[in-house]
Amino acid sequence: MIRDGSPNRFLFPKWTNLLRPGIVIAAVGGLVYVTVIVTFGFSPKTINVGYKPQQPVPFSHRLHAGELGMDCRYCHNTVERTARAAIPPTQTCMNCHASVRTKSEKLTPVFQSYATGMPVEWVRVHDLPDYVYFNHSIHVDRGVPCVACHGRIDTMDEVRQVQPLSMGWCLDCHRAPEKYLRPPALVTKMDWQPDGDQMALGRQLRKTYHINPSTDCITCHR
Amino acid sequence: MSEPAVDVSGLDNTWDDPTQRAPLILGGHDLASVTDAIAGIVERPQPPKAWWIAFSIASLGTITLFAMVAYLLWVGIGVWGVMIPVGWGFAIVNFVFWVGIGHAGTLISAILFLLRQKWRTSINRFAEAMTIFAVVCAGLFPAIHVGRAWFAYWLFPIPNQMRMWPNFRSPLLWDVFAVSTYATVSLLFWYMGMIPDLATLRDRARTKLRQIVYGVLALGWRASNRHWHRFEMAYLLLAALATPLVLSVHSVVSFDFAVAILPGWHSTLFPPYFVAGAIFSGFAMVLTVIIPARQYFGLKEVITIRHLENMAKILLATGLMVAISYATEFFMAWYSGNPFESFALLNRALGPYAWAFAIMITCNVIVPQVFWFRSMRRNLWVLWIGSILVNVGMWFERFVIVVSSLSRDFLPSSWGYYKPTAVDLLTLAGSFGLFFTLFLLFLRFLPMVGIAEVKSVMPQAHLDLGEHAGQGDYHGEISYQHVYPYVEKEEDDS
Amino acid sequence: MSSMSQTTSGPRYWRSLDDLAQTPEFQEMVGREFPGEIWESIPPATRRQFLKVMGASIALAGLTACRWPAEEIVPFAHRPKGSDPGVPKQYATVMELGGAAQGLLVTSYDGRPIKVEGNPNHPDSLGAASAFAQAAILGIYDPDRSRSLVHRQQGQEFAKTWADFKAFAAEHFATYQKRRGRGLAVLAEPSSSPTLARLRARLLEAFPEAVWAEHTPCANTSEPEGVARLFGRRLRPVLHLDRARVVACFAADPIYDHPSALRHARGYAQARRPEAGEQMMRLYAAEPTYSLTGGIADERVAVAPSALPALILALVRELTSVHGLSLDGVDAATLSRAVPPAGSERFVRLLARDLAANRGRALLVAGAGAAAEVHVLVQALNAALGCVGTTVDYIADPDAESPAPESIAGLTRSLRAGQVSTLIILGGNPVYDAPADLGLAKLLDGVPTSIHLSGYKDETSRRCTWHVPAAHFLEAWGDARSWDGTLSVAQPLIEPLYDGRSAIELVATILGDDLANGYDLVRATMRGMAPAGAGFEQLWHDSLNNGVVAETASEPVRTSPRPAAVGAAIAAAAAPPAQAGQTGLELQLVPDRKVYDGRFANSGWLQELPDPITKVTWDNALLLSVADAGRLGVKTDDLVRVEAAGAHVELPAYVLPGQADGVATVSLGYGREAAGVVGDSVGANTYRLRTTAAPHVVMGARLTPTGRQHKLACTQDHHAIDAVGFEARVHRLPELVRETTLDSYLADPEVIQHEAHHAPLFSLWKERTYEGDQWGMAIDLNSCIGCNACVIACQAENNIPVVGREQVINGREMQWIRVDRYFRGEPETASMSFQPVPCMQCEDAPCEEVCPVAATQHTADGLNAMVYNRCVGTRYCSNNCPYKVRRFNFFNYHEHVSGVQKMMYNPDVTVRSRGVMEKCTYCIQRIEEARITAKKEGRPIRNGEIVTACQQTCPSQAIVFGNLNDSESEVAKLRENNRAYAMLAELNVRPRTHYLARLRNPGGPAAAENKETA
Repeated sequence: MIRDGSPNRFLFPKWTNLLRPGIVIAAVGGLVYVTVIVTFGFSPKTINVGYKPQQPVPFSHRLHAGELGMDCRYCHNTVERTARAAIPPTQTCMNCHASVRTKSEKLTPVFQSYATGMPVEWVRVHDLPDYVYFNHSIHVDRGVPCVACHGRIDTMDEVRQVQPLSMGWCLDCHRAPEKYLRPPALVTKMDWQPDGDQMALGRQLRKTYHINPSTDCITCHR
Repeated sequence: MSEPAVDVSGLDNTWDDPTQRAPLILGGHDLASVTDAIAGIVERPQPPKAWWIAFSIASLGTITLFAMVAYLLWVGIGVWGVMIPVGWGFAIVNFVFWVGIGHAGTLISAILFLLRQKWRTSINRFAEAMTIFAVVCAGLFPAIHVGRAWFAYWLFPIPNQMRMWPNFRSPLLWDVFAVSTYATVSLLFWYMGMIPDLATLRDRARTKLRQIVYGVLALGWRASNRHWHRFEMAYLLLAALATPLVLSVHSVVSFDFAVAILPGWHSTLFPPYFVAGAIFSGFAMVLTVIIPARQYFGLKEVITIRHLENMAKILLATGLMVAISYATEFFMAWYSGNPFESFALLNRALGPYAWAFAIMITCNVIVPQVFWFRSMRRNLWVLWIGSILVNVGMWFERFVIVVSSLSRDFLPSSWGYYKPTAVDLLTLAGSFGLFFTLFLLFLRFLPMVGIAEVKSVMPQAHLDLGEHAGQGDYHGEISYQHVYPYVEKEEDDS
Repeated sequence: MSSMSQTTSGPRYWRSLDDLAQTPEFQEMVGREFPGEIWESIPPATRRQFLKVMGASIALAGLTACRWPAEEIVPFAHRPKGSDPGVPKQYATVMELGGAAQGLLVTSYDGRPIKVEGNPNHPDSLGAASAFAQAAILGIYDPDRSRSLVHRQQGQEFAKTWADFKAFAAEHFATYQKRRGRGLAVLAEPSSSPTLARLRARLLEAFPEAVWAEHTPCANTSEPEGVARLFGRRLRPVLHLDRARVVACFAADPIYDHPSALRHARGYAQARRPEAGEQMMRLYAAEPTYSLTGGIADERVAVAPSALPALILALVRELTSVHGLSLDGVDAATLSRAVPPAGSERFVRLLARDLAANRGRALLVAGAGAAAEVHVLVQALNAALGCVGTTVDYIADPDAESPAPESIAGLTRSLRAGQVSTLIILGGNPVYDAPADLGLAKLLDGVPTSIHLSGYKDETSRRCTWHVPAAHFLEAWGDARSWDGTLSVAQPLIEPLYDGRSAIELVATILGDDLANGYDLVRATMRGMAPAGAGFEQLWHDSLNNGVVAETASEPVRTSPRPAAVGAAIAAAAAPPAQAGQTGLELQLVPDRKVYDGRFANSGWLQELPDPITKVTWDNALLLSVADAGRLGVKTDDLVRVEAAGAHVELPAYVLPGQADGVATVSLGYGREAAGVVGDSVGANTYRLRTTAAPHVVMGARLTPTGRQHKLACTQDHHAIDAVGFEARVHRLPELVRETTLDSYLADPEVIQHEAHHAPLFSLWKERTYEGDQWGMAIDLNSCIGCNACVIACQAENNIPVVGREQVINGREMQWIRVDRYFRGEPETASMSFQPVPCMQCEDAPCEEVCPVAATQHTADGLNAMVYNRCVGTRYCSNNCPYKVRRFNFFNYHEHVSGVQKMMYNPDVTVRSRGVMEKCTYCIQRIEEARITAKKEGRPIRNGEIVTACQQTCPSQAIVFGNLNDSESEVAKLRENNRAYAMLAELNVRPRTHYLARLRNPGGPAAAENKETA
């Protein structure tokens, strides 16, 4: 008896029933979509990995560290002493390039810098937030290999970021360093592989060197 | 507020003669005329001039609020009066105040419903609406009072690349959950209760736009038996669900203080104390808004003196609870023998903030005492001004708790005196602006009284009870054939 | 842009900045957010930027990816040997103030000085540094410093270069050469620099008729005069508080306002250690207003300056007549008439008794405010009590041999007579701080050529025809002697930022030296003094390395007082004091404890440093006794019109308990007009009330309330306190700041433990156990002198911003460590208590419980860490902190810090952004540094390896930090000390910082009762 009521009552017409599943899908799907976008879209994995800025000098790590097999510490010589693996002074480049490739176009900025004393302005690739206090020397000293954070530099013409360098990523190692540890002497060996099981080696190294990284906030933030 | 308070001839349903049950709806309304009375307000082409005036003032307040918030976010928390030691000022006071206001709605809708208090039907829609808008105002403050509002989302447990969770030990986090739950449930409750009335508006609508808007809002309500049956059940369940929230929300809010070690905050008394206070202020606010509303929208017969008087009684009761709490606080301070605690209370009453304390006592303890007198309960002026004073008092209660305790804690060297800035005051004023803007919009576009529910307490709802009409023992069920307008229509036709 | 280069010796420092100073890049850099890009380090300045960017991008999350702007790494072209980017280095240098040197170690980070600390090798530092010296870091990067030479002609200013000036000087002074220097005058600040002395001699050689005058407003002139009268030669007393059993100070503040203050403070602390087992020193102080010495004195009496001679006489009388002390030249008749000023009888009696009982171990000191005859008698008594050689030595005044310089009064006479055609002002700011009656400003306009060397275009520069920018002492080579004559070489930490030159370089230029280069000048002087020939380079190197030139301390001289002088002094003292206008008060003008004579007025750190006694910042207040304030009907903050010496100044009153009746005290150094953005028109200029005749005390000052108010920005007692609060404070104080008398302590060593009792403490949850290094701190209230050095040290170490007067009034000061000051006893005779309060690092920290985002957390080594980048700023932690040691960034306080100033930031500490809570974490950056080093060397952290900034600079070593789990560490031992207690222990928050109760050593009964007053 209600079915025919006042002439101007508005009820959803039949076709709106078709919307019902649509609404459900939109609601659920939208939720999922947003979650996915936010979780993966904004994660450092997506945003930062693969960051490869243009450098003033097309310095090739593949050539120097790879083919020529130079040790990282020849240029980044403060890495074992100080917090920073300092970018080498122009002087270091000239140690060789005073006699090698002295005519090279690509090297002009280096020669200029050497002549004028004005530095070459490199672009920072591995750029941690400024409230993060990372110390290279202690990591290298404990046997955390360069490759663990920087990847196979020796295969890169231009250096790019291969790890997210996110807080979660740092914690991942601080909570279980055995996954990456190796004898301190071998930290710069890019292509080194453990003969046995990495985990076993790692655990054994943790014991011998008393490596128990702190996960207190102040370890990195002050 | 022109009406002379005493003259309620023909509108007086406040007698206490047990042999004669007082009707809750007066003016010889029948089911149809009630509908007209209430729905008519919304359907009027133009609201009364008073509405326009009120609305322009309110929306001005709203604009001020948003301007202040923008300024705050741009410049920093420093634009407020907060300092060390008083790290919390108006923002938190306002938050607690508005959450408190938000209590009456759920209380009336849920608890009174479960307690079968018929008279709630005329006021619950009001109260629920008020709850929603109060919670909106309340929700604003915790968000903006943090130093870096753009990181406020860190309070929510969202998985993130930092692998960080919020600190679940912090009462502020409990707040997040408590308030959001409360807001959700209240909103559902309010909206669901409104569905039949929205349908009524839809069906009475003359313009296409109204038809569609109300039609969509009414979710295709056709008042079939099944509809009514589901509606009743859902309503009952929500009521049951909301009841514990009434107690939980303000208990949790009170933990913000009770959990801290600060003398004057650190007290097990706070949860009941806060809940009582919240209901107190909530009812006061209902009165403050309902009295003018019934006046200007001609609902004297629907929202009767009896309703108002009942609320006055509740004010009196809760007011006494609050008074007891104050007394208990002092007693505990003295009885505990803790010098810091006793100083905190002494300082509250006699220290630099004695003036605030005085206002609080006057408004919350002394003023409600007038409601012992029947004549006063029935005097609209007294009722209205009394309710406003109670609101003032309750705001100052929160101010006293937050500020006076903080301003003088353990080390005399770090004592300070908090002074609000213009921004503080304008923000407070603005929050009222926002509240009333929303409320006035509600009065204009939604049925301010639950039509269907009101009808259920009218004699006509119990035709089958013959001469006992009006004395029926209503249990909250609303049988559509008595209520639904088109039933009458059809009967007329035949 | 920049490179480092190595000088043949000395420090490595920038070469290119002063070239840069002109380049557009530099100017741009100054304005830019990232000055740090210049160097390999990433300065914290960028952090704020980062947080901003991040905040914004989060706000618009989704619209834009959250990648922050690309950053450049700019390595050296030629990295200096032995310098690792990002590794701070320390260099030794000295700061000269008031004619004496204070040895410093300055931390340099990638070539920019960022922190000043004391030099342990230096006799007048012993590792500590005064607030003034530490604030030099802010001074060197002050953007208001003068940046170019200015030549003024017909009121117009023309920017000039040094080349211009050289040219001008060459021909200008050539003319004076001919006239044997007639009409040439130099006005210098007193200096202990041998190089300057040498150049001065050369100058007077070249210009025999030139006048060399010296002026500094806050020198203690009466002591040298008194000593000279007594011994008949220019001597300098060197005090050894550590050897004294009884010390009596007469209007003197040897532990704060003295060139050797730091050494004295150390000595005081050593002589006060009950654990040392020796008899504890007893400190007497008679003074018009509270000094820090008065604050820690065991027996103190407030006497007006005019009553001081009478007090001394009474003391002499008591000693000679009662205790049979023999003092040659005493005229018994005059003496018999001597009566102690009202109220000081007990003081005199007790003091005389103790002095007599401690012959050879007593020490009397008088201050700048005391008349010369007082000094004569004081030194005479020192001698008579056989203290010479034990508690006091007399050394020959280092510059005794050079002719005494002309006084500024003498100079103005010749100016007035028009005998001066060229006046060279080497530093100082005479137009501002010369005695008002001289009217120097006017006279200066009459001088055809006036050259002012100054770091700022100040009041004087504006009236001189030439302004020449002075190099900051951290930018220039120099040398200076400490109070005991020890010579030090001052080496620059950085090339002059603004093309400044030092005084010696300017004089050399005037003398026409081609290479007017500080480095060569100082070396030349050293060569002259060095043992001939061989080993000079070694000596030079060692001197730079150690900060002192070995074996240069002056030898004590044997000397004996002249009875005649004593007699004369007694006669002078007995003469009725120049009568104060009956209605008027005695107005005491004292150097300020924060801006000194006004030279530090533009230092935000010092302006915002709470005065140790009044806790007033950003103002100089008129200190009044309770009685006088009552009589005048003024309260604190009321503006009072002060009329004296024909001038008047309006000053806000501050009612100070323990102030002598009839004496109003106000500090100098405020009301600057050309100090800079920070210092201009802060406070009121009280030099206007100062005359040559009465530099320290003006008699018959008239005070009239104006009825207006001026709110003083106090960091304590922000507002007038009511009865309720007052009572509570009285009751709480004995438990919070515990102290007792030495006697009761010796009677019952546990007495401190009984000062507060609380119910047994139970914890709701299982207490965590702390293994490994557990950091803790102990603060000895018996050593603390309330000098504020720790506050500035903390500010410099932790990049703590300056917030300004308004914010301080609003209760938003930012210093992480504060020194609470309480008064006890009746207002008139109130005694004082100091209590430094940093974060207590509670083990059950209330702040940690309530932070919703876990931004403050406990670390394994027991610190209460604060993670700035996680903080969202609910301020809940501060509310829940019983000690209220947390500070909040209500605004972005670093917003207006210029690029140059950002060079001062400590890169190892995050610069906190707006809306973030901050607090002390025991210098976590230093702890982390030590931990990493220790790990790399595969050893535990050594005992005492970590020193917090506050501990490092504390002159009296009141602050001790260390590992509580190491039974060998001093802090662990102090925890066991029976004076140790935890503040608010009853809350069971278990603070890691403990206090050691103070022991008062009153001379007799009826001493300080533990009551407290506002």
